[in-house]
Amino acid sequence: MRAWLQFLIFHRRELLQLLLEHIGLVAASTLIAAAIALPLGIWATRSRAARRWGIGTANIVQTIPSLAMFGFLLPLPLLGGVGASSAIVALVLYSLLPIMRGVYSGIAQVDPAVKEAAVALGLTARQRLWQVELPLALPSIFGGLRVAAVIAVGTATIGAAIGAGGLGEFIFRGLATADNNLILAGAVPAALLALAVDGLLGGLESMLARRYRPAAPPPALAETASGA
Amino acid sequence: MLFAAVFAAGCHRGPRLVIGSKDFTEQIVLGELLADAAQQHPGPPVEVVRRFDLGGTLICHRALEAGRISVYPEYTGTALADIFHQPPPADAAAAWRQTRADYARLGLRISPPLGFDDSFAILVRQTTATRLHLETLSDLARVAPRLRAGFGYEFMERPDGYRGLARAYHLHFAAPPHVMDLALTYMALAARRVDVIAGDSTAGRIAALHLRQLRDDRHFFPAYQAIYVYRPEAAPLLRPILARLAGRISTAAMRAMNAEVDVDHQDPKAVALRWLATLPAQ
Repeated sequence: MRAWLQFLIFHRRELLQLLLEHIGLVAASTLIAAAIALPLGIWATRSRAARRWGIGTANIVQTIPSLAMFGFLLPLPLLGGVGASSAIVALVLYSLLPIMRGVYSGIAQVDPAVKEAAVALGLTARQRLWQVELPLALPSIFGGLRVAAVIAVGTATIGAAIGAGGLGEFIFRGLATADNNLILAGAVPAALLALAVDGLLGGLESMLARRYRPAAPPPALAETASGA
Repeated sequence: MLFAAVFAAGCHRGPRLVIGSKDFTEQIVLGELLADAAQQHPGPPVEVVRRFDLGGTLICHRALEAGRISVYPEYTGTALADIFHQPPPADAAAAWRQTRADYARLGLRISPPLGFDDSFAILVRQTTATRLHLETLSDLARVAPRLRAGFGYEFMERPDGYRGLARAYHLHFAAPPHVMDLALTYMALAARRVDVIAGDSTAGRIAALHLRQLRDDRHFFPAYQAIYVYRPEAAPLLRPILARLAGRISTAAMRAMNAEVDVDHQDPKAVALRWLATLPAQ
């Protein structure tokens, strides 16, 4: 343990650089995935075909092993190649399913009586989405986002297989040289980063919940209605 | 009686042999070769357990030390550098003797050399080699500033890998080499994403992907003779089988077997059995 900490201190600059690269991979891929999966998840609640095809495709993508995915991405122009771009594309694809599912089930589980009441109050479809459905779906959306981000922290280690850097580089180098210190120098910070990311998103969720989501549905409706 | 000690679990009818291998084609073929040779061996039927595809040198070595496997294929240069942390001698025979002595200190034994050498091979596309007139690594050093390289982690880390090579040949590429998974370097080379990679001299993909191996004209890479490492308890069973295989597998034969699996997608077991059939019976 002490030897390992000395090892970390000795390699602190490299560790910091790989950690920042890792955070970059996770942040970029999770943001892009959210930007794609949020509208897709909403669309899935509106259309049976979108639900079947969107979530079905995301399901299949989830089962492709990451090295095989890199094999497909390597020859692609723009998106693929060697380096961070291929890794980010793969991470985005892996993050789609949990986010989409969170959005879909959150909106689908909004009490039908609440939706009917919103219609009765004369809210347009857009107002219902932004003022009723999305706020009520917030815990489920954040649930999906947290799962996606935590998985991405773990999966991003494989980015080192295609020259994208990140903490996986310590793990791959450690495996190649039978060096446990190196393997742990990648694995332990990645685990801590996963906890930190989960906590951070949890904090963001409660902040948003305080702002947008009142305690119980009936007063919520009254408030959104008066706000509209 | 001989086997009683080896195969402590008394419930098995015959002797038990747990064969390990690392996680790439050549190792799996060598594991199959040994498994099938053991099953063909006259005497009490051997119960062969295959523990192939273990993730690399470290994991195989630990499994062997712990007695979880009885034997696995290794290379003299790899064992010396990665397990015993010694500079491998350039002379193949000296490297084998040193490897045997190092393993003996751990109570482990090694087979005679199998006959081929799996050393690093610096590879370029045939078209690149023709266009730039590349035959040797010295030729490569001349044009390296115009080329992109992609290397596996092992090659980047080892003293007999990139650092040593770059020093020996004064190699300077356009940018620092991309560091990536070894199997992906072949795909990146074929997809023209990089121009130079470090593969294995026995890789079946060298011919299939139209690659050329550049000659190591300054003899930088040490010897990597293939051997089997085994536990002493397995010696009575393994010694005659290993004697039958020793010196029989040429580099060309190994490259062909690797190609049959990697390129023609044949089953490693079928490939191993076919090669064994060409061996004279003991």
